[in-house]
Parts: sequence; structure tokens; C-alpha cells
Amino acid sequence: MYIIIVGGGKIGYSLCKALLDEGHEVLIIETDPGKCEHINEEIGTVCMRGDGTETATLADAGTTRADMIVASTNEDEDNLVVCQVARHKFSVPRTIALVNNPKNEAIFKKLGIDCTVSATNLILEHIQQEVPTHALIHLLKMDQQGMQVVEVKVPQHSPAIGKRIDELPIPPTTLLSALIRQDAQPLLPKPDTVVGAGDRFIAVIIGEMEEQLRAALVGA
Amino acid sequence: MNIIIVGCGRVGAQLAALMDAEGHKVTVLDVTANSFRRLPSTFSGTVMVGDGTDEGSLRKAGIEKADAMVAVTEGDNRNVMSAQIAKHIFKVPRVLCRIYDPLRKDIYDTLGLEAVSPTTVFAQLLKSRLEAT
Amino acid sequence: MSSAVARVDKGEYETILLPVSGENDGPAIQLACNLSKLVKKGKCKILVLYVIQVQRSLPLDASIDPEIQKAERTLSQVEDTLVECNCEIDTDILQAREVGVAIIDEAVEKKADLILMGAGYKKRFGTSGVAPSVLTVLRDAPCPVVIVRPALQDQEGK
Repeated sequence: MYIIIVGGGKIGYSLCKALLDEGHEVLIIETDPGKCEHINEEIGTVCMRGDGTETATLADAGTTRADMIVASTNEDEDNLVVCQVARHKFSVPRTIALVNNPKNEAIFKKLGIDCTVSATNLILEHIQQEVPTHALIHLLKMDQQGMQVVEVKVPQHSPAIGKRIDELPIPPTTLLSALIRQDAQPLLPKPDTVVGAGDRFIAVIIGEMEEQLRAALVGA
Repeated sequence: MNIIIVGCGRVGAQLAALMDAEGHKVTVLDVTANSFRRLPSTFSGTVMVGDGTDEGSLRKAGIEKADAMVAVTEGDNRNVMSAQIAKHIFKVPRVLCRIYDPLRKDIYDTLGLEAVSPTTVFAQLLKSRLEAT
Repeated sequence: MSSAVARVDKGEYETILLPVSGENDGPAIQLACNLSKLVKKGKCKILVLYVIQVQRSLPLDASIDPEIQKAERTLSQVEDTLVECNCEIDTDILQAREVGVAIIDEAVEKKADLILMGAGYKKRFGTSGVAPSVLTVLRDAPCPVVIVRPALQDQEGK
């Protein structure tokens, strides 16, 4: 694949190295001449000097044949414009924007940037997974269908303990797809499975069923 | 008319003063308070320190009730982002923005943004002046 | 056989890398020919290199026919000129994003004792000077470098 990275900061630089190792053709576009020279000295002629939000620069970079463009500057408005120009002027099939200010993630989505990466939100998700202070953890979002995969842990004093699954008010559009018990193989929850303390359910939910599912397994 | 102007440079300040003098309700937004010195002492509108690409700042500036928004900061990309937020998120009826780079302006024209390129406009103006004499 | 350093000190270069572009190459080619005669007969080798610069709008391995034809034409002309120098001649065409970097890579790979190249001095649009590839070679070459600028009235592409 031919991948263009706009912004030769730490993220762009490391990303470039990793992608080159995977055998891709990579080009970094960077405005700062010093950074450009440094990158070319370190990893070969992969950096072009120029403003990646400028149409002429993108044309020189051969953006029409790019399979992907990654906008990784530290200015969100520049990343937005890079992705929009790449998409609409050069028909680049895949565009990824780094979002520096997490507030902008929602705005980018509304403005049609399909793939965004926010460092803040990524770290936040990791914290939620690593430090389970919440009974319900978001594992995966599937935006197109409005589906998400969540994990729910049954706490010590949950009213669900000792009850069969079919006795619980599990919301209708929810699919309990796996049950993980301590020191045991994951199993498929059945209607007659009895819930125990510390059980962890992996569930696929559609729409706004998150709160109902939490209430059924965790209690008020 | 209820107008929000993002960017209080020479153009932003002058536009604000003109619209204010005609009796419109003008709010000017800029990231640096010092920029408001460009407004005339007669200016009776509102000034606010804030980022025109930030939903919260725009909301505070009253964008939900605005009839028009003009993005004239120094950065093309900032203007593009502000204008798109105003148009697509807050559904402001009339949105104008400045894009110096003529090629970038063309792209955003096709994306439905009403953009003006001073580069093109000024070059054309000079050309017609030259031809007139 | 004497060590490379001693040889080079005496001006005996066994492997001479001669990058050509089809412009301003004449005196450099002549000099390469004369230098090769300083080395014991049959020991010297001249590597004639033509680098095709490929724009980013094309993949690196794109076959750009007019460029390849120009490269082949240039190389065969150089070979004709070098026929009289009576040493081993190798020609190569490389495709690269940066001409200078490709020359350096070739010099390293082929263990060149000397890079000998022609260069014109351009005066136009305020970017007067030599081509960026020449600067790269001067900065990064592992071996001695000789740049030959043709006489002023003979310069091409001024």
C-alpha cells in the first residue's frame, strides 16, 4: 500500500518506521525543514517538505495513487482539512485523522471523517479496562449498526445472584454471548444458567439498552 | 440580523464595525483579547475571547440564535473548520469564510461551503483596474 | 595488491563511479578515461550510472519509457566515448526518488574508490548553484569526489 502521513512529529515518525517495516511505501509530508532533514537522515528519503493541507503539495506527493492518508499534525483543523481534501479532491479511499482535543472527535464524525484517533479517549478506554471501577465496560463499538460489545461483572451483592438467566429482566435486543467464571473456561450462557457472584458476561447490545442490562445484572 | 464574526483581524474588525453601524447585532470572537483593539470605540456589539473551532465557545457566543457567521481568522484551516461547525452542526442559515489558497477554496466550494479567496478577488480587482486605464 | 588507501593516495582508482545525466558530462567522462590509464591495465573498472528520478505521483518501479530511452541513449553514448580507454566498463540504470541518495548507495554497494561527476552551474529563478544531487554526493560520499564543471562556453542547460 502507498500511505501518506501528514505531520512528521513523534507520532508520524514512529508510524512511518512501523509501516516501512511492514513493507508499505510511506511518505511523510512535513513543513519544518529541520524535522524533514532529520527524518531523511534517520530512515532514508521518505520525507517531503511542504504544507500537507495545500492541494499543490498533495498533488506532488502523488496523493491520487495513495491507498491511505493519515493526518497526524498537532492541529486538529489541519488534520480535518487534510482528510477532507484527500477524500474529495484526490479520492483517497481511507483517511485517518488524529484528534488532539477529544472534544473534536464528535465534530469530526459529524463532518464526515470516518476514522479518528484520539489519544485521550484511547487512554481513557484502557483505564476503564485495566481499572474496572465500573461494573459495565465498553469493549468495542461498531458504529455502522449502532452495536457495541460490553462486559458486565456481577458484584457481590447483586440481586441477580442465584437466579436463572431467563428469570432476569435482560433487555430484548441484547445478546449474552459469553460467560467468564474465575478459573474456568468461558462458556455460552443458557436460559437456565444460574448467575454467581464475580461472573463476567460479554454481551452484544444494540441501541440504548446499556442501562437496562446493567440494572438486570448489577442491580440498582 | 444576528451575526457572529470569528477572528478580529483587520478584515474581521472592519466588517464588525460596518455591520454594527448599520444596526445589526454583532458578536466578535477571537483567541487573543488584544485583537479587539482594532474595533472602533463606537462599536456597540459584544466581544468574546474564545476559539472559533470550539463548540462551547461558539455556543457561548450565541451561535444557536445566529442568522449568519463569518470566519476570518488568519488560518485557512481554522476558518474551514469553524465554518463547517457553524453550517453542519449549528445549522446557521448563512455561513461565509475566507480561504486564501484558491485551490483549497475550490474544493470547499464543491463541498457546499461559501468561501471567498482574497487572493483571487484581489488579483482580479488589480487586473480590471489595469485594464480600465 | 596494494591497499585501497595507498592506491587512492597515489591517485590509482580501481573502481570509479561515474554518474551521468546526459548534460555537462563530457569533461568528466574524459577525465575518468584518463584516470583509468593510471592503474595497471585491466585492473580499473568504470561504473557508469544513470539515475532516473521518479516523481512521487508514480510508484518507484514505474516504467517511464521516454526516461528509460533517454537513459539508454546516454549510456551507450558514454560507452562509445570510453571505448578508447581500454578498461572494464559497467553501466547501470537506477530508479530513485533522490538522485544523490541513489549515487551514494551505489558507491557504498560497489565499494567505489572515487566518484567522478560532471555538473553545471545554473543561474535561474534565484536558485543558482549546483543540482541538489551534487550537494548530496559532496556531503555523504564515502570516497573522494571529483566534480568537473565544463568550460563556461560549453555548459549545457544554463
